[in-house]
Amino acid sequence: MMKHWILISFLLVFFTSLATAETLTEDQLQVRVKEVAKTLRCAVCQSESVWESNAELAIQMRDIIRERLSQGQSPDEIRAYFVSRYGDFILLQPRAFVGMNWLLWGGPFLLLIVGGTFLFRTLRKWVAQTAPSPPEELSPIDERGRRRIEQELRSLESDK
Amino acid sequence: MKEMAETKPPAAGIRGWQIALLAVILGLIILFYKGLWGNPSYIPPVLVGTAAPEITAPDLYQPKEVSLSQFRGKVVVLNFWASWCQECKLEHQNLLAIQKRFAQNPNFVLLGVNYQDKEDLAREYLQEHGNNFEHIRDVKGRISIDYGVYGVPETFVIDQNGMIRHKQIGPIIGETYTFLVERMIEPLLNGTATAS
Amino acid sequence: MIIELGHFAVITALILAVVGIFSPIVGLKRREAVWVEVGKQAVTLNFVLISIGMLAMEYSYLVQDYSVRYVYATSNSKLPLFYKVAGLWGGHEGSLLLWSWILSFFCMLAARIHWKTQPAVMPYLIGMQSTVMTGFLLLILFLSNPFERIFPVPLEGRDLNPLLQDPAMVMHPPFLYLGYVGLSIPFSFAMAALFSGRLGEEWIKATQRWTLMAWLCLTIGILMGGYWAYYELGWGGYWGWDPVENAAFMPWLVATAFLHSVMVQETRKMFKVWNLFLIILAFSLSLIGTFLVRSGILSSVHSFAADPGRGVFILGFLSFMLFLSFGTLIFRSAKLKSQIEMDSVLSREAIFLFNNLFFLVAMVTVFIGTLYPLLTEAMQFKKVSVGPPYYNTVFMPVALGLVFLMGIGPYIPWRKASVQNLKELFLMPGLMALGGLAFFAFAGIRNSYALAGLTVVCFVATAIFSDFAKIASFWAKREQISPIQGFVTAYKKNPRRLSGILTHIGVLVMVIGIIFSTIYQTEKVLIMKPGEETGLGSYRIKLIRLYGAQGGNWEGQEALFNVYKGETLLTQLRPQKRFYTVSQTPTTETAIHQIYTGHIFLTIPEVAPDGSWARVRALHNPLVLWVWYGGGIMGLGVILNIFRKTRMKISAARPETAPEVAVSLPRSAREEVLHHRSNRWQTLLNAVWPGRKEV
Repeated sequence: MMKHWILISFLLVFFTSLATAETLTEDQLQVRVKEVAKTLRCAVCQSESVWESNAELAIQMRDIIRERLSQGQSPDEIRAYFVSRYGDFILLQPRAFVGMNWLLWGGPFLLLIVGGTFLFRTLRKWVAQTAPSPPEELSPIDERGRRRIEQELRSLESDK
Repeated sequence: MKEMAETKPPAAGIRGWQIALLAVILGLIILFYKGLWGNPSYIPPVLVGTAAPEITAPDLYQPKEVSLSQFRGKVVVLNFWASWCQECKLEHQNLLAIQKRFAQNPNFVLLGVNYQDKEDLAREYLQEHGNNFEHIRDVKGRISIDYGVYGVPETFVIDQNGMIRHKQIGPIIGETYTFLVERMIEPLLNGTATAS
Repeated sequence: MIIELGHFAVITALILAVVGIFSPIVGLKRREAVWVEVGKQAVTLNFVLISIGMLAMEYSYLVQDYSVRYVYATSNSKLPLFYKVAGLWGGHEGSLLLWSWILSFFCMLAARIHWKTQPAVMPYLIGMQSTVMTGFLLLILFLSNPFERIFPVPLEGRDLNPLLQDPAMVMHPPFLYLGYVGLSIPFSFAMAALFSGRLGEEWIKATQRWTLMAWLCLTIGILMGGYWAYYELGWGGYWGWDPVENAAFMPWLVATAFLHSVMVQETRKMFKVWNLFLIILAFSLSLIGTFLVRSGILSSVHSFAADPGRGVFILGFLSFMLFLSFGTLIFRSAKLKSQIEMDSVLSREAIFLFNNLFFLVAMVTVFIGTLYPLLTEAMQFKKVSVGPPYYNTVFMPVALGLVFLMGIGPYIPWRKASVQNLKELFLMPGLMALGGLAFFAFAGIRNSYALAGLTVVCFVATAIFSDFAKIASFWAKREQISPIQGFVTAYKKNPRRLSGILTHIGVLVMVIGIIFSTIYQTEKVLIMKPGEETGLGSYRIKLIRLYGAQGGNWEGQEALFNVYKGETLLTQLRPQKRFYTVSQTPTTETAIHQIYTGHIFLTIPEVAPDGSWARVRALHNPLVLWVWYGGGIMGLGVILNIFRKTRMKISAARPETAPEVAVSLPRSAREEVLHHRSNRWQTLLNAVWPGRKEV
């Protein structure tokens, strides 16, 4: 009896998972194909991805991606396949740790950090060099100040 | 960033940032100059020196499957072509000549792969331009993608061990033809080829 | 004959451009104003001559004279009149001619507008502009001549590239060139400032409108290009990070940085060299962009045919310009000192510097991404591609930082912000940002970039609108008027600031458009047979039938689709697959249905020859129009800024500005000018060439 239940529940899980895999297929598969295809260059077009291109080759590559995805391959495995055939050229997103690609990926952030630090330190240095202004000049506008400003403005208006 | 330099007395002359700026400009110009002589649409082949991917494909004329492994032990020249391809017409007579030249050699196979084409158009093309070797159809582009083909004509030379020894992008004409015949195919057939 | 006349006019223009380089130099050397006058006449005549060249070309288009090689290559008798005219800039040679024509127009205009008010700048302005002009005319006449004839004369033209047969694409290059070339005017002023050592705010004030105009045109050009790509290329996106798009985007980024940092110089008299650097960089990037596009060095959809000779020439010219401008900056700046007064790191001037840093990093990101393939190739590495996934990862965080600074920069006080200030200004926006984050996370947005973007948008929007509320209520209270009138008063008091803020609002709208049209996009690519239907988000599309269609210079197929929401028929759409017979080019024509501010977007990239099926690309792009609405608002802000009334603000005399430069001549005194000009010029010439002051 117990055995039956285990078998039945096992089969149930098995078939429902099959069923969900089936229902996921069309729409979800398209989304996943798109994810992969957008990172691959259409080799015969100039700067279009495999997803965007309508070239024959791109359509065939999309079919291969779809086929391999439904066979259970991961996006990285699929990309690796295309790299093994076309070289790194096929990737629209160069691999980060190959050659000097770190420059490409890290460069802007490095520049931001180095530039930011440099800028901040320079600013601090300038602040230190600048004679501090009298404190009342820097304090936020209080009620007294606000009244004064309004008075000034009014006198400006009456000039007309 | 310039301002730091300015706060110092001006007598110090040329400073770091100025040299860096000049270096960047110079580097850029050198880069551009070198780049001018490159071909932006050329993709270096990656498959040369690796095992040729297996092919199983229908013959263009007969209802039979052709596979690459059945030619193991032979030198295979794989030529990707299409009836709509203008440059293929340029090399077609040379392909026929290659086949003629090595036809007696049992260890030589010239195999045409009809790339992204329609069967009837391909046959018409061969009828018009002549044909003396076997052709297979590249169904759904599987073969060409497996071989990293991105335009026709492209030609691969595969040795007796099934290794890709050479890839020719563009038509086999002029020097390319002599190179292919005398420096690639003949040495391979004679067993005098150097592994390079 | 007409074409030879045009050719001859342009050859003469080249000679005059050379005159335009040397006569101001002679004028400066010999201190004779008449030589500068000669330069002015030369640039004026130059405009006339290049106009003749343009008209001669246009004439050949209109009379369908296919003996002119370029006309033959870009036109056809079946082409509609509009595209016949636009054929001139449909290829490399003609678009260069258009570029030079705009350059000559701007140069003439600038020389005439500023002749009286900026006499000291004139020799340099005319000299620099003529230098650029000479470079381009040499390129046109010797390496890309549109006036060339062919023999035997073809009976029919090869037709304009069908992708370019589109209104947006017709206007896109002229606007881009107006932007690129417009930057040359502030660039020349900056060079004049460097040569003459007058680094005050004078040149910035004088070129403010030029820079804004150039920026506006560049923005319009880029947006039009985006819209063109969106519906003409048919993949449903508007920005592909293509090298040519990047080439236009880089000067835009630097010009934007420049527009911000000049405010610091105007208000606080700091960062003079930095501003010079930025404008030189902006114009240099537009030259670099020209080189990248025209030399065919990068593979790109838009690249003109590659020709190494042409590339070498442009590179030579580019190097000359780069060394001339940056070299001058380097050697002159060593002698320049500007007083730095920085009260606090928490001040508007400091934030502006961070804004500049972010803009430059953004530019460098695009620059590295564009040139990296070239770099790897030159260094014998593997060939690589850098595409949208890279920019989405690296550029977006930097852009987000910029958007965030938009909520801080305009509001933090000059000199020094106190803790009290910061609390007043940013507590509310900060809270709203957190609230927004919670809301959008709860609403189910999981994409981290989208969440971060929307949070930042909340922050900035709150900062902007609470500032609006503050100023409106202030004026309402003071003038006893309604808050709306109060806001209008506030606008009148400071149109520059508020139109600038309007541009910021445009950016926010655009950011929202980008985020939503990206993450909520529904896209399907599938094969459909007549009678079949497919779901697209909450819509359904049904292919009714496929049939043949044809136009003047093309034939092809059309598909009829019904678009439903639930059971209601919303609209019928008819995308096409065209084949232009003369140029043998296929294109896909998009069919778009607008739903609120989003689009249902259909194309049929492939149709079976027997019409039994079609490959369909169907998209639903929600809020996609916000991208261009945002662009429109940005443009409006800048237009208001260009046409605002200048406040007659009397600024304190600056030691580095010679007083006579700042004073304009009396308007009526034409005779007086004629009489005193030589003396006046003499004084000026003595002043502007500091090294020879002792004469």
